Amino acid sequence: MSKKIAVDPVTRIEGHLRIEAQIEGGRIVDAWSSSTAFRGIETILKGRDPRDAHHFTQRFCGVCTTVHSMASIRCVEDALGIQIPDNARLIRNLIMGIQNVQDHVIHFYHLHALDWVDIVSALSADPVQTAKLAQSISDWPKNSPTYFKQVQDRVKAFAGTGRLGPFQNAYWGHKAYRLPPEANLMAVAHYLEALEWQKDIIKVHAILGSKNPHPQTFLVGGMSIPVDPDSQNAINADKIAHMRKLLRSARAFVEQVYIPDLLAVASFYKEWAGIGGGVGNFLTYGDFPMDNAGGTDSFYFPRGVIMAKDLSRVLPMDQEKITEYVTRSWYTYSGGDDKGLHPYDGETSHRYTGPKPPYEFLDTEGKYSWVKAPRYDGAPMEVGPLARMVIGYAAGHQEIQETVNFVLNKLGVGPEALFSTLGRTAARGIETLLLAQKNELWLNQLADNMGRGILEVHNGYRWDPSTWPREARGFGYHEAPRGALGHWVRIERGAIANFQAVVPSTWNAGPRDAAGQMGPYEASLVGTPVADPEQPLEILRTIHSFDPCLACAVHVLDGKGTEIVRVKVL
Amino acid sequence: MQKEQYQSPVEVSEDILQKWEARGVNRRDFLKFCSTMTAALALPVSFIPRIAEALEGDNRPPVIWMEFQGCTGDTEALLRANQPTAAELILDYLSLEYNETIMAAAGHQAEKAKYDAVEKYKGKYIAIVEGSIPMADGGVYCTVAGESALDVARKVCGSAAATIAVGTCAAYGGIPAAAPNPTGAVSISRAVPGATVINLPGCPLNADNLTAVIVHYLTFGRLPATDSFGRPRFAYGKRIHDNCERRSHFDAGQYAESFGDPGHRQGWCLYKLGCKGPQTYHNCPTVRYNEGTSWPVMAGHGCIGCSEPAFWDTMSPFYRRLPQVPGFGVEATADKIGLGLAAATAVAFGAHGVASALRKGDAHETDKVKEEE
Amino acid sequence: MLEIRYVWEWPVRITHWINALCIVVLAVTGIYIGNPFLLAPSPDAFVMGWVRFIHYVFAYLFTVSMVARIIWLFIGNQHASWKAFVPWAFSKGRENMWGTFKYYTFIEKKVPYVVGHNALAAAAYSLVFALFLVQIVTGFALYGQYQPGSFWDVIFGPLFGLFSSPGVRLTHHVVTWLLIGFAIHHIYSAWLMDIKEKNGTLSSIFSGYKFMNPEDLK
Repeated sequence: MSKKIAVDPVTRIEGHLRIEAQIEGGRIVDAWSSSTAFRGIETILKGRDPRDAHHFTQRFCGVCTTVHSMASIRCVEDALGIQIPDNARLIRNLIMGIQNVQDHVIHFYHLHALDWVDIVSALSADPVQTAKLAQSISDWPKNSPTYFKQVQDRVKAFAGTGRLGPFQNAYWGHKAYRLPPEANLMAVAHYLEALEWQKDIIKVHAILGSKNPHPQTFLVGGMSIPVDPDSQNAINADKIAHMRKLLRSARAFVEQVYIPDLLAVASFYKEWAGIGGGVGNFLTYGDFPMDNAGGTDSFYFPRGVIMAKDLSRVLPMDQEKITEYVTRSWYTYSGGDDKGLHPYDGETSHRYTGPKPPYEFLDTEGKYSWVKAPRYDGAPMEVGPLARMVIGYAAGHQEIQETVNFVLNKLGVGPEALFSTLGRTAARGIETLLLAQKNELWLNQLADNMGRGILEVHNGYRWDPSTWPREARGFGYHEAPRGALGHWVRIERGAIANFQAVVPSTWNAGPRDAAGQMGPYEASLVGTPVADPEQPLEILRTIHSFDPCLACAVHVLDGKGTEIVRVKVL
Repeated sequence: MQKEQYQSPVEVSEDILQKWEARGVNRRDFLKFCSTMTAALALPVSFIPRIAEALEGDNRPPVIWMEFQGCTGDTEALLRANQPTAAELILDYLSLEYNETIMAAAGHQAEKAKYDAVEKYKGKYIAIVEGSIPMADGGVYCTVAGESALDVARKVCGSAAATIAVGTCAAYGGIPAAAPNPTGAVSISRAVPGATVINLPGCPLNADNLTAVIVHYLTFGRLPATDSFGRPRFAYGKRIHDNCERRSHFDAGQYAESFGDPGHRQGWCLYKLGCKGPQTYHNCPTVRYNEGTSWPVMAGHGCIGCSEPAFWDTMSPFYRRLPQVPGFGVEATADKIGLGLAAATAVAFGAHGVASALRKGDAHETDKVKEEE
Repeated sequence: MLEIRYVWEWPVRITHWINALCIVVLAVTGIYIGNPFLLAPSPDAFVMGWVRFIHYVFAYLFTVSMVARIIWLFIGNQHASWKAFVPWAFSKGRENMWGTFKYYTFIEKKVPYVVGHNALAAAAYSLVFALFLVQIVTGFALYGQYQPGSFWDVIFGPLFGLFSSPGVRLTHHVVTWLLIGFAIHHIYSAWLMDIKEKNGTLSSIFSGYKFMNPEDLK
């Protein structure tokens, strides 16, 4: 029997996403990913001061805040040929590094965990056994029976009010939940702990960036946060010490809570190492420059491309090969919708042709999303932590190889297991660990520069628009938590003539292209088992493994398009 | 004696304190929270018990948090809340019936949670709106479960006791409404004119201001007093400039001239680098962000005016004192234009003067001066 | 035979010179406030503080002077009256405007002779008066921002809802430059008329008297 289902809204993500999927014999045979919101920020940017662009683009997203600022200032710097001071490089690395760590931990506990962890089951756990389990995998100081008892009591008192708020109507008790009650309780405790932890460690952003979300110290040419050991109004020894403490606490939590939990939970769901593989092509722009002169070769996470899961060959990445299609998206190109355009020549002319709201289903035969379909050399690419780890692994990056092998050995699986829902979730953890360990190095280098009297944070060369060429264009890259992020700008007479962003979730959540090739979300859903179409928990697992960053919705349709089953609440 | 003084000057009932302890919140933290809130709302200390009572028991107000054309930045800001923390808000203070970023349920189950709450708590729940509402083309630019944002907003905000617009997008349209406003984005108060709306602008809003409004509402059963832009006076009653830590440098006449110069490193005023503090009403300098760690001016970057209506258009370019003069290019500033105007006037009249001096026979006959013989 | 005529009554002359002084001081201080070109040597200086203080004091002085002059529009002599400033409303005025325009643009040789303001100048002054009022309103609106609920905020605050705070600021700034342009033109025109009409135009604003032959007025 064949059925089509829809999930809308997909929750525990950023933004508005909708998934429609066709199910046959308990497995997904076809899927459509659609973003249901459009704001037109690229259009709004036209004619504005390029130095302001990062304030606008940062508002693409408040979850992966900072990342669009980073890509925007880099594309303008590229266009104007500006080299940033070393301190600015270090401050940016620290901001990006801690952003990845915090974002990934929030994703694991608050956006992804409830796909694997059954909170209701935690109520029946034995706190003593929970403590034993926790102590067996980590020496985190809080792993005591009293602690777990306290958490359990708190959750019980909450459940006792009968008003479950954000936890109501979920798929509790679904048979795809495998964890024993003790493991569930441990995860719930860490869910709450991580919620406290994330707001503390992100103060690094407040110190370097003034606030989080949406830090405000980025500048074309550097950063606005002054560095001066002899000033009360700048990064000084006191603030370095504060950040060191925060970075250590970040690292401790990742090493002693996140990674052990990830491994423990993953060991119960090993079959997911064979599900959700997706397109098998990976792309990274690379990031975290380790010195100020080395260009792309100095990146801690390397730049590259892997096609068809071929770990033996890392191809060079050439941004000229990127095109965006709107064949199945609610936009039009002046030269025809079947042709891909490079972002420099990109157009954002929206034209909605979908059903008039309120609607039940999208027309998945026609245009069906606000997301464009980016392609590299004509192929759909997956971006994100998995892409970064796979490309680093294949490129022989020593630290990545060691950590990936450690995790694979722990779980008793081979490298092929990386190409899966579980692999994606594990890669995120591996990357978090690497960055949590790297942050302190950058902080030490910053302190070292200060000690040597190197205080420059901003390169004012070409700050004044009168020094700019009449026309210029540039590409700005960033490895955001969710993957390769690119901004392209064309500047004419001191103003933005065109601005295009191809964001990670565009790569991953994009719809089909002119050739009918599926985007990574869609491809990864095909083959995913769905035990109960009324409660498509499995769809959420695979979609959440990408850490989507848009607002979404999912539909389930009949194979012949006749029988439509609404997902009902139980 | 010392200990006596240390205690809260007002009595909060033992009963309430015990109930909180049972829920895992120790009495010290709870009292601290109540007094912080009392101070934030500028209320006398005698209001502490009233706030405690308002928070007591399962009076948790149902909250429906909707995101439309937003970036989830305000939800993230909520997660950075400290007084109380996000976990306390979600578990202890509010009954968060719907929030797409946090909630466990998805799809139709999530939608049911939303509309069940609307039915069950009609006229009693708080609606929180994040993001603007697109009005163009029948609302196709933002849909949730196939429903346009406008329809959802009408249904939910229409029967709410109060609607809190969090962030500048929900309060004033924000970035989607910036020129040329491709999607016809408007604020919640314009989208649903009948709703009782309080605006908490900021990009994103400061979570402390949100918790203060919620507690004010719980305590007094009404929303706090607002200014002409619908913002609560307790948080938007003063200009950033007038509370700024760098104000003395402004008055003294000490300005950072470029980023990273000695004045900039010593915390001089950012006026000349485009700071919009003199035009912006917000409590950033006093409350700051991330538990009082910092705020933009403290971190060496001017204010961009994010709590003001239409700030994306009126406050930009962000690195200049004044907006662009309409009709002139990006590089032209008002002063350059003015100077040019003055110079052109002088040159024009100079030329006119030369021409007038050379012309003959334009004076009146009677005025002709007779040559002395 | 030249007649001595008392044209500018003393309130006209006093407000003229107070306005002139205020415009100079307000423009200089205002430009400094908009773009503080001098940097204070030490933190105990109060340069911007004093400049702003002076700006506000002269703003009040200017406002008082303007109010006095507006009152005098209704009680002063025919040259000071509001009627002189709306020449387009009267047929003689329109004729006079056209005549002066022709003289200025070198089309006509004869200066149209009047006792008070020539009609074109009077029309320009009513525009300048309007600009003065714009400056007073926008200036006090901006001044009122320091304290919401204060007198100036209550009466002029609604402007911010209509034009936004930066919009009001920009207007105040641009009008300053327009007035600087006006001042240049004003001094030039007075000089031109002084030498062409030879009736003591320049000195009249000090003394109040002009000298003219009644024949020319016919």
